[in-house]
Amino acid sequence: MANKKIPITRISKFFSSEDFQLEQDVGMEWLHGDMHFTMVLFRVDKKLSDVDDVYGESGVEEIRYKPPVEFNAYVKIDPPNNKSYGGGLVNQMEPGNMTLGVYNKHLDELSVDISYGDYIGYPESETTMRYYVVANDGRVTSDMKHTIGGYKAFYRTIVCSWVSENEFKGI
Amino acid sequence: MGIPKKIKKTLNISPEPIQGHYPTGYNGITTPYRRGELTDLITDDGTYLPKSVLHADLDGGMLEFTQNQLKTVTNGKKVNVIGRILTLQRWAEFSQTWKFANEDKNVELPFIVVVRKPDVQYGTNPALQYTIPNRKQFHYAKVPTWDGTRKGYDVYTIPQPVPVDIIYDVKIVCNRMRELNNFNRVVLQKFTSRQAYTFVKGHYIPIVLNSIGDESQIDTEERRYYQQNYQFQLQGFLLDEEEFEVKPAISRSLLMFGTDEKERKKEKRNMGKPNAKKVNNKLTFTGGVWAMTVPYNYKVNVSALRLKNVDSYSFTINGVSVDEPVMVNPGDTLQVTIVKQNPGISTLTLQETLVG
Repeated sequence: MANKKIPITRISKFFSSEDFQLEQDVGMEWLHGDMHFTMVLFRVDKKLSDVDDVYGESGVEEIRYKPPVEFNAYVKIDPPNNKSYGGGLVNQMEPGNMTLGVYNKHLDELSVDISYGDYIGYPESETTMRYYVVANDGRVTSDMKHTIGGYKAFYRTIVCSWVSENEFKGI
Repeated sequence: MGIPKKIKKTLNISPEPIQGHYPTGYNGITTPYRRGELTDLITDDGTYLPKSVLHADLDGGMLEFTQNQLKTVTNGKKVNVIGRILTLQRWAEFSQTWKFANEDKNVELPFIVVVRKPDVQYGTNPALQYTIPNRKQFHYAKVPTWDGTRKGYDVYTIPQPVPVDIIYDVKIVCNRMRELNNFNRVVLQKFTSRQAYTFVKGHYIPIVLNSIGDESQIDTEERRYYQQNYQFQLQGFLLDEEEFEVKPAISRSLLMFGTDEKERKKEKRNMGKPNAKKVNNKLTFTGGVWAMTVPYNYKVNVSALRLKNVDSYSFTINGVSVDEPVMVNPGDTLQVTIVKQNPGISTLTLQETLVG
């Protein structure tokens, strides 16, 4: 599947590869230049991390990361959740999930991939950095929503959930 | 007419024991050897104490059991087993399955996964029940010690292990019925006698097959696959080395007596069993007396035992001087003559030993 290259000729009467590139570049110019939502990606080094033999778990200090990478994305953060432990006895106000839209081309340019379980830091204010873990890396982009008119997928939707400091401390 | 085939034509007239291990039949002695082997397994590569058996060890035992004892092969290819107990940590789950994942990072079918139920209940292992309160310590071993000067013993004690029941769901996910059949056959053959055993740090831990359930996705418009859930109960126990105790036993005893000197009692003269053949006869020589006679009606051997204020003494029988020890016959009269050291009372104790 990966080795064969098949030319995409869909909607070729009024849309071509050049059009796809143009649309994508315009979108990236808007997202990266005008919006400029910048985040930090912490990719877990799965080979160097010190994992438990039985569970494959690591402590906070035992996870190893590849060098952090800044990247741009379209960000949507859900309202905070007012939850509780112990049947309403221990109140917990947590940030909602963060959904990112990332251009595939942008990830290719940075030579990075966002995987399930990686951590993402989002600077909420000058002094506060929130950290999220990738719960859905959006790797499968076979639906029409992720394409331009059905031509080809051009972005990924990544869903992240908030993590506490005892799971990931960040920088 | 030939001899029927069921009739045996040759018989072994010098049969050997059926069990070579027990040449003269089971004698009740060889069992401890096996116990010794089991103890060696428990303490192998370690101290004299058993090693801790905790939750992670039991989980590892179940995982190893699934990988080795429930190994399933389909079309000459081993069905992959996810080599970890899956937990909440997302990247860990991912990192352990990537070896047989496809381009979309999804696990390829068929595969087997072990999922532990997080709640661990108090155990039903029949050997371990609510029998002993308060974590009482029990003798496990006496280990000789040598500190360069003294020999001694350390006494190792451990409390009763805590029984635990852990429920595991071993799930097989596959596309073909024959893969299900193969795994089902392996499991049922293994659990024909209800339970099988995993081996955790020298201990045989029983595993019981609770139930077999089907969770297959056979919707009309969705992706179809088989998923069956084999629920096992591991009847283990927790043995925590933090609860072990090692205490030094007695290596040297110091015995001290306290006596009250104010109330002294006279020493008993005849300690132990009296000797009927020996009699002491104390002769007291007052101021001017220096000789005494003792008549005898029996044959005795006489000698002086203790002297007090006596410089020298001599014995005569019937006027004849004799040397010590003096053999006196019945009817003889022994005369004892002394020379005093100082004027006053003197005593001479004769020891008379009956002869014959």
